[in-house]
Amino acid sequence: MAQTSPELEPGGALVETPPTTPSHDLHESTEAAEHGSSGLPQFEFGYWPGQIFWLLIVFVILYVILSKLFLPRVGGAIEARAAKIEGDLADARSARDEAERQSAEAAAELAQARARAQKTAAEAKAAAKAEADSRNAAEEAKLNVRLAEADAAIAAGRDRAMANVRTVAAETAEAIVEKLSGQAPSRAEVDAAIARNAA
Amino acid sequence: MHQFEIQQVLELPPVAGFDLSITNSALWMIIAAASVTLFFAAASAKAAVVPGRLQSVGEMLYELIHNLTDSIIGHEGKRYFPFVFTLFAFILAMNLLGMVPYFFTSTSQLAVTATLGVLVIAVVIAVGFARNGLGFFKLFVPSGVPFFVLPLVVVIEIISFLVRPVTLALRLFGNMVGGHVVLKVFGGFVVSLGALGALGIVGALVTLTGTVAITALEFMVAFLQAFVFAVLACVYLNDVVNLHSH
Repeated sequence: MAQTSPELEPGGALVETPPTTPSHDLHESTEAAEHGSSGLPQFEFGYWPGQIFWLLIVFVILYVILSKLFLPRVGGAIEARAAKIEGDLADARSARDEAERQSAEAAAELAQARARAQKTAAEAKAAAKAEADSRNAAEEAKLNVRLAEADAAIAAGRDRAMANVRTVAAETAEAIVEKLSGQAPSRAEVDAAIARNAA
Repeated sequence: MHQFEIQQVLELPPVAGFDLSITNSALWMIIAAASVTLFFAAASAKAAVVPGRLQSVGEMLYELIHNLTDSIIGHEGKRYFPFVFTLFAFILAMNLLGMVPYFFTSTSQLAVTATLGVLVIAVVIAVGFARNGLGFFKLFVPSGVPFFVLPLVVVIEIISFLVRPVTLALRLFGNMVGGHVVLKVFGGFVVSLGALGALGIVGALVTLTGTVAITALEFMVAFLQAFVFAVLACVYLNDVVNLHSH
């Protein structure tokens, strides 16, 4: 697995003391890395300061970039979306409320109009009925008057006729009695007799 | 263990006796950080209300860690969110880059994982002192412990606190090295069994299937270890942020 080849390298003296700081000779330092620990190159401490130094530098730079630039942007997008959804929901809710209010208003107006129409119709009906009633009454009264007049005329005619009949009867009775008895009865006697018979 | 060997990429003069040359490990840290930067530059370029795929993934990662800091640390968590997120994204990028053949896995270097572990604990201690002053030491004195066992408990608490960076470092280191070694061994089996003739090829096919399965597992481990690191960072931060309720 590991391509270590300590036997091939002549620098065996370095094995005894693992260097705390690697030599600047690349060859020597890699060789030291291969020898410095029993297998794992991670325990070659000569390379630790460089890794620690660069790790901290890179971490701090990344922290600044993320915390100042990208995290606010991502978080801002999330918040903007939440706000937009919230706002849209509120808009929709208010639109729905407005629609409901308008529909209630329209219904109320409709009911009002219907009531007004019904009232007008009732009024018209009542007025028409009243007019018709009054006209009927007037006609009836006129008719009654004419009826009464006619009745009166009829009564008068009849009375007159009756009076004529009585006169005719009296004269006829006078004439009959004169012809039969030869003597003319007095008018009073004839009238009395007629009244007696007519009763 | 050739794949874990450190090689110099760019030699720099030593500073105060330390060799700060850019090695392949440092190079892949830089590549990982650049990948994270490029990814989020692309993911947050449009910041659209209706996200594309890239933006969705970016927001998923964001919300994953945001929920973490929120649920573990609580309301104060958002102050530490960028730190935890940087840890997570950086480790995840290094782990995932290591899954590409011939790429170097910086998180398989104990120097890297130990630095990250110590960094977390250093931040925890700094936050602890900044928020609680000397009250930070109450972290080691749990309440409600009878006084005659208290010294023992305090010693145990201090040790468990000091062990935290070690476990952080070794968990990530062990997982990454272990996974790569297992893959290497299985890959080696495929080759050596395949050279043994007909029966060997059958065995090699079985091993190859195993290698593929382990590769899938390693992708999960790469993600999981970054996540675990972030979770533990949150837990340790919570200890000092909400010290009074400890």
